[in-house]
Amino acid sequence: MKYDVVVVGGRIGGSIASLYASKDDADVLMIEKRQEIGTPVQCAEGTTQSIFKILDMKPDKRYINAEIDGATIHAPDGRAIDLAEVSCENFLDGTGYKGYILDRKVFDKHLAIQAAKAGAEIMMKTTVKDLIRKDGRVCGVVAEHLGETMEIKADVVIAADGVESNMARQAGLTNPNKPGNIGSCAQYELFGLDIDPHQLNFYFGREIAPGGYLWMFPKGEDTVNVGLGVRSTKKTAYQYLNQFISRFKGTTPVELNIGGVPLSGPIDKTYTDGLLVVGDAAGHVDPVTGGGIHIAAFCGKTAGQVAAEAVKKENTSESVLKRYDEIWREKFGKNLEISLKYRNAADKLTDKDMNALAEFLEKNKIENLSKISAIKFLGKHPHLLMLIRDLL
Amino acid sequence: MEYQRDNCGNCGACVAVCPQQILKLNENQVTKDPGCDECGNCTIVCPLGAFTWKVGHEV
Repeated sequence: MKYDVVVVGGRIGGSIASLYASKDDADVLMIEKRQEIGTPVQCAEGTTQSIFKILDMKPDKRYINAEIDGATIHAPDGRAIDLAEVSCENFLDGTGYKGYILDRKVFDKHLAIQAAKAGAEIMMKTTVKDLIRKDGRVCGVVAEHLGETMEIKADVVIAADGVESNMARQAGLTNPNKPGNIGSCAQYELFGLDIDPHQLNFYFGREIAPGGYLWMFPKGEDTVNVGLGVRSTKKTAYQYLNQFISRFKGTTPVELNIGGVPLSGPIDKTYTDGLLVVGDAAGHVDPVTGGGIHIAAFCGKTAGQVAAEAVKKENTSESVLKRYDEIWREKFGKNLEISLKYRNAADKLTDKDMNALAEFLEKNKIENLSKISAIKFLGKHPHLLMLIRDLL
Repeated sequence: MEYQRDNCGNCGACVAVCPQQILKLNENQVTKDPGCDECGNCTIVCPLGAFTWKVGHEV
């Protein structure tokens, strides 16, 4: 078997890479290890409007469960802050507060169908075991389907194989993560929780989600994604989740999702001769929020386009594929770097610091926030002042 | 490390932190090649606690 482009992984990054490579006339095969695209869900499903701009696609009710117009932050002491009153920017990508809660099972499959419509072939229940290399360059994959092993040659391999990516490691582009850089997540889709169906809710605190936060994302009128990410804890994410939801009487889960999220920022190099790395496999995740749908979408699109162009030029070496790395870094590199700095600072925040910050923000709404009030506040909280100094 | 398949949610978090790179996420379970150095990373990140120290190990 031989294709121009083989894409490993059929979620957002993989399907979008397949779609755009196919659109640009490449002969594409996408390989998915699971039996169904889109399951199991490993995502809180929240995203901004920007993804539809990136994909030049109209949002459709079939894969949007809720429209979001705001968010509330809950400090460890229970103080609730309306994000719109304390910040002008969207915390994900600065495009305003409007966002969506996707139905990832439908959305991911929709993207795969778009790729198929553009001409991509898809293989299900197929696991990639190894990269094929010749003279140091990647030129295909060894895959296994129902016990049968096959060699699939390709001019470009796109690794969109998730946090568990072995391919980027086999190609020498990544090292195993430290446990503290992986957000350990558990989430229920919960029935019976009465919250505003257009508002996100975030809860912070060492007792609730140490090293991370808890989210409540409404999925329409009936259910809510209630999940959390934690880091380096003795108790499991699942135990923290059960502990939190025990306060809600009369609720019951209809789905349990778990996952690991890479939170150390992008890998140093996302290309080598014959290979591109996309999405979670490349660390394309915001280290503060753990969100990455819009980043994976942009990187998937760019990878597909650059791969197809390299195939056309009959040169799929590093020198051509490097363009992919340059394009996505120009768009997201700086933001991800800053975000990692913020995360490192936030790691040092105590519950007391967070409560003090929340109290300050509550008293000083954005319109009357003054330099003097900020200086006075920091004077009273030297630990926060130190953290801010680290950021500057 | 002890791996309990019944507690595994097939998410791949353990694979991402295994320094020996001996864990593989297959469709329904994680498989472990020989060569574990008992570092315990998998026990830290597993959201469901599918990896635990062997009985008798002192943490």
